[in-house]
Amino acid sequence: MSTQPTGFKSWLLTTDHKKIGVMYLVTSLVFFVVGLLLAFIMRTEQLDITKKVIIDADLYNTAFTIHGAAMVLFWMIPVLLGFLANYMIPLMIGAHDVAFPRLNALSFWLYVGAGLIAVMALILPGRLDTGWTGYPPYSIVGPANTAFYVFAVHLLGASSIAGAVNFITTIITLRAPGMTWGRLNLTVWGLFGGFIIQLVGVPVLAAAVTLLLFDKYLGTSFYDGTKGGSPILYEHLFWFYAHPAVYVVALPVFGIVSDIISTFSRKRIYGYTSMAIAIMIITVVGFETWVHHLYVAGTLNWTRVVFMWGTIAIGVPTGIKTFNWLATLHKGSIDLKTPMLHALGFISLFTIGGVTGIANGLLGFDIQVHDTHWVVAHFHYVLAISMSMLCMGAIYYWFPKFTGKMYNEKLGKTAFWITLIGAMIAFLPQFHLGYDGIPRRYWKLPSQYAGEMRIAVIFSYITIAGFLMTLYNFVHSAIKGEKAPANPWNSLSLEWQIPSPPPFYNFEQIPTITDGPYEYGKPADTTVKAH
Amino acid sequence: MLKQMVRLLTAALFVSLPYAAAAAERVADPVKAWNNHFKTWAVVSIVVYLVVTVPLIYFVFKYKRRHKDETGAYIVGNTALEILWTIVPMIIIIMLGVQSWAVFNDLRDVPKDHIEVKAVGFMYGFEMYSPEGIKTINELRVPVGNVKVNLSSKDVIHDFALPAFRTREDMVPGENTYLWFSAKEPGEYPVYCAEYCGSGHSSMLAKVIVMKQEDYDAWVKKQKGEGTTVAALTPETKGKELVERLGCLGCHGIAGEIKAGPALNGVIGKSQELEDGTKVVIDEAFVKEKIADPKAKPVKGFGHIMPPNALAKEEYEAIAAYINTLK
Ligand code: HEC
Ligand code: HEM
Ligand SMILES: [Cu+2]
Ligand SMILES: [Cu+2]
Repeated sequence: MSTQPTGFKSWLLTTDHKKIGVMYLVTSLVFFVVGLLLAFIMRTEQLDITKKVIIDADLYNTAFTIHGAAMVLFWMIPVLLGFLANYMIPLMIGAHDVAFPRLNALSFWLYVGAGLIAVMALILPGRLDTGWTGYPPYSIVGPANTAFYVFAVHLLGASSIAGAVNFITTIITLRAPGMTWGRLNLTVWGLFGGFIIQLVGVPVLAAAVTLLLFDKYLGTSFYDGTKGGSPILYEHLFWFYAHPAVYVVALPVFGIVSDIISTFSRKRIYGYTSMAIAIMIITVVGFETWVHHLYVAGTLNWTRVVFMWGTIAIGVPTGIKTFNWLATLHKGSIDLKTPMLHALGFISLFTIGGVTGIANGLLGFDIQVHDTHWVVAHFHYVLAISMSMLCMGAIYYWFPKFTGKMYNEKLGKTAFWITLIGAMIAFLPQFHLGYDGIPRRYWKLPSQYAGEMRIAVIFSYITIAGFLMTLYNFVHSAIKGEKAPANPWNSLSLEWQIPSPPPFYNFEQIPTITDGPYEYGKPADTTVKAH
Repeated sequence: MLKQMVRLLTAALFVSLPYAAAAAERVADPVKAWNNHFKTWAVVSIVVYLVVTVPLIYFVFKYKRRHKDETGAYIVGNTALEILWTIVPMIIIIMLGVQSWAVFNDLRDVPKDHIEVKAVGFMYGFEMYSPEGIKTINELRVPVGNVKVNLSSKDVIHDFALPAFRTREDMVPGENTYLWFSAKEPGEYPVYCAEYCGSGHSSMLAKVIVMKQEDYDAWVKKQKGEGTTVAALTPETKGKELVERLGCLGCHGIAGEIKAGPALNGVIGKSQELEDGTKVVIDEAFVKEKIADPKAKPVKGFGHIMPPNALAKEEYEAIAAYINTLK
């Protein structure tokens, strides 16, 4: 086997899936920090909800726009479909690399380019203030330079489509002998579902924003209701992708939670088949929900009813997964290491987001809380905070694998509890505002909520502090951590059966697989190690 | 075991169906219907949350790893159990869905006996039109009874949110939408713009004023009466009309109250500190410039969100004259 090239240039020109994975990780973490910084600024502005504290309405609008875009498009999706997919899929399915290594490098650099445009949209004149949703006519007649938005989405879209093609091909064609579909890690299943959604959805989003560009700069009127177009058309096209986009994040997260819980309970994941089926059901039904974002947009009444059933139906496969996790814990041998704490903390936050999300899906209920702080609270519990936290857990879990070093366990646990306690409280007051019908994206709010919002601010600070401690742990341990053993968790999963960090071509020989990744304590153990 | 389970669940489904059907019956008051719906949801949600978190915490303590080489029990699955936790959530969701559908119908089906009014959103305010054609800004007056509000917009998408009546709907340029509510008690009810529309979004506030029928009739009469004497408009009345029409009152109070911007009463002659620290004494020229180019001389302590308005010279003067009358 050839040796691993090193040095700065080897990173810039690399087509190695592991190096690309690490570059995705570092870049997405940078955007996470940008997002946190903007959250910090917005929350500080809410210290007094009746008058200006540090920023005016225009800056507040830009802050939530870039916060939302950075967090969803440049942090959550890339850390999962960029970092994790790159680093872990070849290791988990027993391959030397991805199917198209050079296309893979292109995906990464397109993502970096899109990121630079997003940063420009934050600081250059004509700052983006349209919300991450970019609805016309405001994005057309408003002051923002919508081209930033459109081009960032174009580059990111090209990156996502290339990535989806690459990884779907990899998973289908490069599985090692014996790595049947029934032996894939659930993480791989989740990523597979996520990539399918990207492939189907992203082109629609790209088309939607391109028409925006035409309307703004070329004088067409696709979205102009007074000239025969319709602004609602954009909302349909946007959410056709952007709602399933939350499943692009959620499905891999479900897979990771399953992997972590199984490893740290040393127990077979309960109901493997129903888990995989649930992932694929959500992949499909996820496209039957988007009109819930248009529940009060003047859409036909009966359309709203149809999409209510699609939306709340998602609760069933999601419920199945949660109960399977609980059943995996039952009679397990549970070790509360930092990654496991994050997985369990995730469940406790995600369930709050889940039940309040059903409320959003329920048509009659939602009319009162649509576009209110209820929604903001809901999606921070169900996705934003809970899944960011889980991503931290995933980074801890595979930290020994991709750095070859151990993280600091004590600091990891402390940071976890700080993040969790902060996150539990930080958004609760907003459910109350939402119940009272108070809209979101409000720079200033009715004065009777001042006290509650101050609680939200303080606990948000605590959450942010917790995340920053975790990030410090990563940086510090990557430089100074102790050397890690090849398989510190005693996991049966394939990626742990090779040295940490993995050698250049991962496997000296492509292994032959004879059993699944979760067969802990199987009578007459026949699990095959990679060698 | 499995058979019993399935039988039990089928029975549960049939028991729950009549309940769901009962929930679908039309309730007289949409607000009450919504409140009931919320309660049902809240009870179900708390139970679900406990069903997830209590076992989670219990298992973590009960099955804590005792020694290094311990392994969990080898359990592949249990079909009966898996069917149970598929079907129970299904039943819960169907029941909630049917109830929600009924609430939705209540909120959207306009009763036959209603009056129709119109609301038009603009950056940043609401123009309201009574059935008699009286136009008001950021203030919708209606008599007790059922009211249908026809909605549209002049520029971007806004939303007419009326939380006291558990209803809201977007105002879309080029399209016609509606909502309705049942005004029972005289009083004032806040209206918010709930669709993001730019700088003035969070100051795009209004109210619905429900009046007793006789008070409403008196109000209409008074408005109509004024309407006939407007023939010779003084600059001050014209200014008042402009200030209302242009949505200035969304951001400015006229009785000393501070909204997104400073109150307009008494500003002429007042000494004001600008963003760059200089002090100016506000005169009519300053007001004119402020309206035409608000960012030229930004006032300290506020967000700079005031939208520019290109008007005729007399119109600027009319506004300034009106503001001068506010003490
Ligand atoms: C979107 C909210 C908004 C609207 C609508 C708006 N203003 Fe303002 N206005 C402000 C803010 C905020 C300030 C103070 C900050 C600044 O100067 O930028 C201000 C400042 C002013 C001042 C200076 C007051 C002082 O005490 O220094 C005047 C006069 C004024 N506005 C008049 C008007 C008039 C007349 C209209 C209607 C044509 C109007 N505004 C519409 C937000 C608004
Ligand atoms: C401690 C961490 C965080 C805090 C304190 C925070 C706070 C906020 C606040 C105050 C808003 C604006 C609400 C409004 O006025 O409408 C917001 C919006 C938003 N946040 Fe966060 N947030 C955090 C983390 C995240 C994360 C990790 C994500 C990842 C997905 C995220 C995604 C979003 C999105 C999508 C919006 C909506 C933006 C829009 O309206 O266009 N947030 N957040
Ligand atoms: Cu959605
Ligand atoms: Cu608005």
